[in-house]
Amino acid sequence: MLNDLNTLMQIVGKEVVRTVLGLIGVFIVVLGNAIVLTWLERKVAGHIQRRIGPKEVGPYGIIQSFADSVKLLGKELLTPANVDRPLYFLAPSLIFVPVLVSFVVIPFDGFLQVKDINVGILVILAFSSLTVLSILIAGWSSANKYSLIGSVRSVSQNIAYEIPLLLSLLSVVFMTNSLSLRDIAEAQKGLWFVFYQPVAFLVFFVAGVAETNRTPFDLPEAESELVAGFHTEYSGMRFSLFFLAEYTNMFIVSAIAVTFFLGSYQGPVLPGVVWFFIKTYALVFILLWFRWTFPRVRFDQLLNFSWKILIPVSFLNLLVTGGILKL
Amino acid sequence: MALETRVIEEFRSELRSVDINEAPYDKQGYHLAIEARTGNLQNIVDFFDKREFYIVDLFCVDYQDYLELVYFFNTHRELCRIKVTLKLDPEKPVAPTISNIYPMASWYEREVHEFFGVYFEGHPNLTYLFLHDGIDHYPLRKKHVPVPDEDKKLLNSFKPQEEEDCFFINLGPQHPSTHGVLRVVLKMDGEYIISADPVLGYLHRMHEKMAEKKSYAQFLPNPARMDYPGALLFNLAHVETVEKLCGIEVPERAKYIRTITCELNRIASHLLWLGSFPADLGGLTPFLYAFDDRENILDILEDVTGSRLTYCYFRFGGLYNDINEERFVSATKRFVERMRKRFDMYDKLITGNVIFINRITNIGIMEQAMIRKYGASGPFTRSTGIPFDMRKVDPYAAYGSIDFEIPTGHIGDNMDRYRVRMKEMEISLNIIEEGIKKLPQGPFKAEKVPKKLKPPKGDIYNAVESTRGETGVYIVSDESDTPYRMRWRVPSFSNLMTFPYLAQGVLIADAIATLGSYDIVVPEMDR
Repeated sequence: MLNDLNTLMQIVGKEVVRTVLGLIGVFIVVLGNAIVLTWLERKVAGHIQRRIGPKEVGPYGIIQSFADSVKLLGKELLTPANVDRPLYFLAPSLIFVPVLVSFVVIPFDGFLQVKDINVGILVILAFSSLTVLSILIAGWSSANKYSLIGSVRSVSQNIAYEIPLLLSLLSVVFMTNSLSLRDIAEAQKGLWFVFYQPVAFLVFFVAGVAETNRTPFDLPEAESELVAGFHTEYSGMRFSLFFLAEYTNMFIVSAIAVTFFLGSYQGPVLPGVVWFFIKTYALVFILLWFRWTFPRVRFDQLLNFSWKILIPVSFLNLLVTGGILKL
Repeated sequence: MALETRVIEEFRSELRSVDINEAPYDKQGYHLAIEARTGNLQNIVDFFDKREFYIVDLFCVDYQDYLELVYFFNTHRELCRIKVTLKLDPEKPVAPTISNIYPMASWYEREVHEFFGVYFEGHPNLTYLFLHDGIDHYPLRKKHVPVPDEDKKLLNSFKPQEEEDCFFINLGPQHPSTHGVLRVVLKMDGEYIISADPVLGYLHRMHEKMAEKKSYAQFLPNPARMDYPGALLFNLAHVETVEKLCGIEVPERAKYIRTITCELNRIASHLLWLGSFPADLGGLTPFLYAFDDRENILDILEDVTGSRLTYCYFRFGGLYNDINEERFVSATKRFVERMRKRFDMYDKLITGNVIFINRITNIGIMEQAMIRKYGASGPFTRSTGIPFDMRKVDPYAAYGSIDFEIPTGHIGDNMDRYRVRMKEMEISLNIIEEGIKKLPQGPFKAEKVPKKLKPPKGDIYNAVESTRGETGVYIVSDESDTPYRMRWRVPSFSNLMTFPYLAQGVLIADAIATLGSYDIVVPEMDR
């Protein structure tokens, strides 16, 4: 087996094999994550609400997500009459591209990383901004006023929250002098950056919740106001692609937070990849906890919070970081 | 000097040409009766408006020889119910509108127009409120009166007009936060609402017409279908009115059991609201906690009444059957104890959350002065600081012998409405506890109540305080075993009328929060 792999590598080149294998791994992580998170969300929601959650399919309802995805696959794909058809079909697939690209640069441990790019964090931030494009396309092409309001909200929300997100990550970049995620992970061998940069961590996490459109910042899909927001008109597998993207985004935001602030794959005894997943899912759990505890903020409150609190705070934090490093 | 004598004196000196008569309150449910004419109706209504009366109800009765418009007025200070009637020619019924004095009359006049064919001169928007295309006669008229073609055009004129710089959104009838099938047409400028126009009738079942075809006893299950979360209170409104009309005395034990079960039902209904209000704001968890508590009440009431939602437990002269005292009292005491401990948790979960506080304080402020113009009632009224509660001003069942306070708010915003309802639940617990303590022994049913009730000729208005406010029943009896006319004055209807007023110029998210704070029940509104 190992011999075959070596011969293969010699024939087509090491990089290509690594990339192909890595992408397969990424797919497994993305789908596995979605399956785990669907189950986890329902289970966590259940226990927070004094229910049990799914329990019929498999032990503790573990196979429930599979049953759900089979159901979603079997559902009819309804296309409303007045939609802008090419854009309407494009949006659900488009939302998945940036999500997959972000996985390429995340180091799961010292070895498990598809490709270490020296501008890794820029790649993630640049591509995650594209998510909002497909949300806008979905809302615009649906020919539904609720969808349109939802997508317009999404655009202004993402613009408002990308700035504090970037600024909070910059303060860590100041400390490591590198944009590569691997370097940042390696730099936390001693003390995690969350202890040097607690403010940046908080700002990043709050902005991350907003970036993933989760409660209390789930205004683009606020179900009590906008029915289902930008994906009102989507059904079956198309809807589940949006769903999948949301869960993957949650994972990515948590993974970046772990990489930048919580020591990435560094940890005693257990292998790095295990530590990475434990830390990431701990943050994901907090996101779920938020959703089932908080009500939704209002739109103007949301924007005010970013422009008047998060951005000044993260700027100040950046200034202080820069000043201390210069000394 | 009682308020009604003062009103009579002032009325006689101001409007000399109009007759004002005293009516026996015990028998008819109103103190004064006035017969108006088309010419002086506006002056009479103006007289009551100046003296800060609120408008209770406006409806029509078809006496075949003539149509009679009935206006009820009352004050928030003390009980002084006044009935103003206006006789109209059935061939060509035309009446002056009073919507310029009481904005609330605008909706009631639309209702009268589509059910009786009465035209209101000067009404700004005389279109369908409940019914939709396709009816060819006026449903509540006693004879078959076809709808003339020009009237059909008039009724159908409701069409949203697209304009520059704004768009229309249909909030409902299928929408997660309209609690059923309420539809509100919103004219929007971006996220701001320019105007809101509720469209009712998606659950309209014409209970008032049904009542005319059924005997009093046969109508018993119907009220529960109007207000399903507070079914017992509507059941009580019907039963008490018929009892008053026929002069049936109810035994003390039955009165106490009525009071206790009604208060349990009130808490259950408030808990339903407590669950759905945060859900409107995006917090889904309180819903499950509130339902957990509500489940306990449903279990108790199921044991007593046999059903879990649409109760039909009260009968004329008493109850359907006696309670199993041992089981009922211990279960209720257990519930009261448990519920008292839960308020702290709700405070932590809901009012302890800064997002929740910011979403509802100073949003949807209802001025105290406007309450009486719209005829709003219940917790909605009390949140503005008016301590008006039918249980207190006109005690029915056993409320007269139980001491309780009326919670009020200060400014009438969503937070006040939340606080008032929470406090009301606590007070209901006190009432239940005291009721159980005082629960007398004896018969649960009056003896010799005839199977077929034939009340004496006459009319009566009687109101109870249901979970959402003043629920009144007006019955005209013609000595037969079916009511000649039964009119339901439902609180959600007049409360919702304030929504277009409160929704003007606010964000859609705030309008949803305000709508959630109303605690509307659509089948009750539509009847």
